[in-house]
Amino acid sequence: MSHPLEKIEYKPISVRKLLVEMKNLSELMIDLAYSAALFNDKELAEEVLELENRVDVLAYLLNMEIMIAARDSKDAEALVGVSVVASATDKISDAAADIAAVVTQKIGIHPIVSEIFRKVEERLTRVKVYEDSVLAAKTIDELDLAARMGVDIIAIRRDKEWIIDPGEKEQIKPGDILIARGAPEGIKEFKELAEAKLKKLED
Amino acid sequence: MHRENRKKFEEIVESFVELKDTSELMIDLAYSSLLLDSKELADDVEKLEEHVDQLHTDFELLVLSSKFKPEEAKGLLGLIRLGVAAEKIADAAAEIAEVVLRGVEPHPVLKLAIEEAEETVTYTRVTENSPLVNKTLREARIPEETGMWVLAIRRAGKYIRPKPGTKIENGDVLIASGYAEGEEDLKKLASP
Repeated sequence: MSHPLEKIEYKPISVRKLLVEMKNLSELMIDLAYSAALFNDKELAEEVLELENRVDVLAYLLNMEIMIAARDSKDAEALVGVSVVASATDKISDAAADIAAVVTQKIGIHPIVSEIFRKVEERLTRVKVYEDSVLAAKTIDELDLAARMGVDIIAIRRDKEWIIDPGEKEQIKPGDILIARGAPEGIKEFKELAEAKLKKLED
Repeated sequence: MHRENRKKFEEIVESFVELKDTSELMIDLAYSSLLLDSKELADDVEKLEEHVDQLHTDFELLVLSSKFKPEEAKGLLGLIRLGVAAEKIADAAAEIAEVVLRGVEPHPVLKLAIEEAEETVTYTRVTENSPLVNKTLREARIPEETGMWVLAIRRAGKYIRPKPGTKIENGDVLIASGYAEGEEDLKKLASP
């Protein structure tokens, strides 16, 4: 183990909040991990490993909440499903970390394989924002890509750092590298918008 | 790179992507089975899990029988590891579905959490009067119209993996994922 594991102290957080975050994070991690593998991006892979740590902490906290909530056998029966689902999301995040480890451990993927993979995989893209792109200087909220074309920006690479799961108020800047997921047709349009081949954001 | 070799790589990647896509579809279906407390859906997840096991075996056999040179082999080891991870994801999805199959009444907090998560999965039956009937997915332009993308089509109890040329039929159930905003648009389109 490269660094000591932190001690996890009980914090009162609702089971619902913990579950939502675990579910969202685990799914985000799969897409980020495959992106790291597709584009052979070691730093993005390291971000995935960080997220895995976070999911582990959430899993501990969730288990503590469940233990506190169960007062009798009826409660236990009602809550066991929650515990199983939480452990499954934890497993999904572990699997994402395994994918990321292929990159961080420098096993890598054959260049021809990743080239073909990028062609077949139409739901993930990595694109640079051009100076004259309509995406530049707009916030995620203003772009509303989810409603417009079913596309979600899951990570931004800026000034040598990754911004993971950017918030609504995050502004896209020229030169940003974006990783996005979504419907293949939407992804195509999104790419053209970023590269300023398409100049207008349609409603 | 010889052309023959490239073809081999293409075959391997396609086999892997099918494994990957199926495992991700299973996660969506598994959460939906919980949300809707549907044994039928949970059962489908279990069946897909067996299917994934087979896909995984086929994929591994394909790689092993491809006689790569040592310098190529390392790059394929990465893909084999990805295959193992995809299978792990499928197993996790099956565990979620098993909660439903064991007759555990999904705790309200589970439903709340799934509903609150960013993406939703929706089931929409295509009715006779829908403009989608007899159109291919390419022609139907569902993502452009609704922001939802079709993960799978359920037809006569079977799942069809959607391809651009797949024709939509009356009575199909479209399983689509996307952001909550698109759900109603899709319903209007499929069952007007």
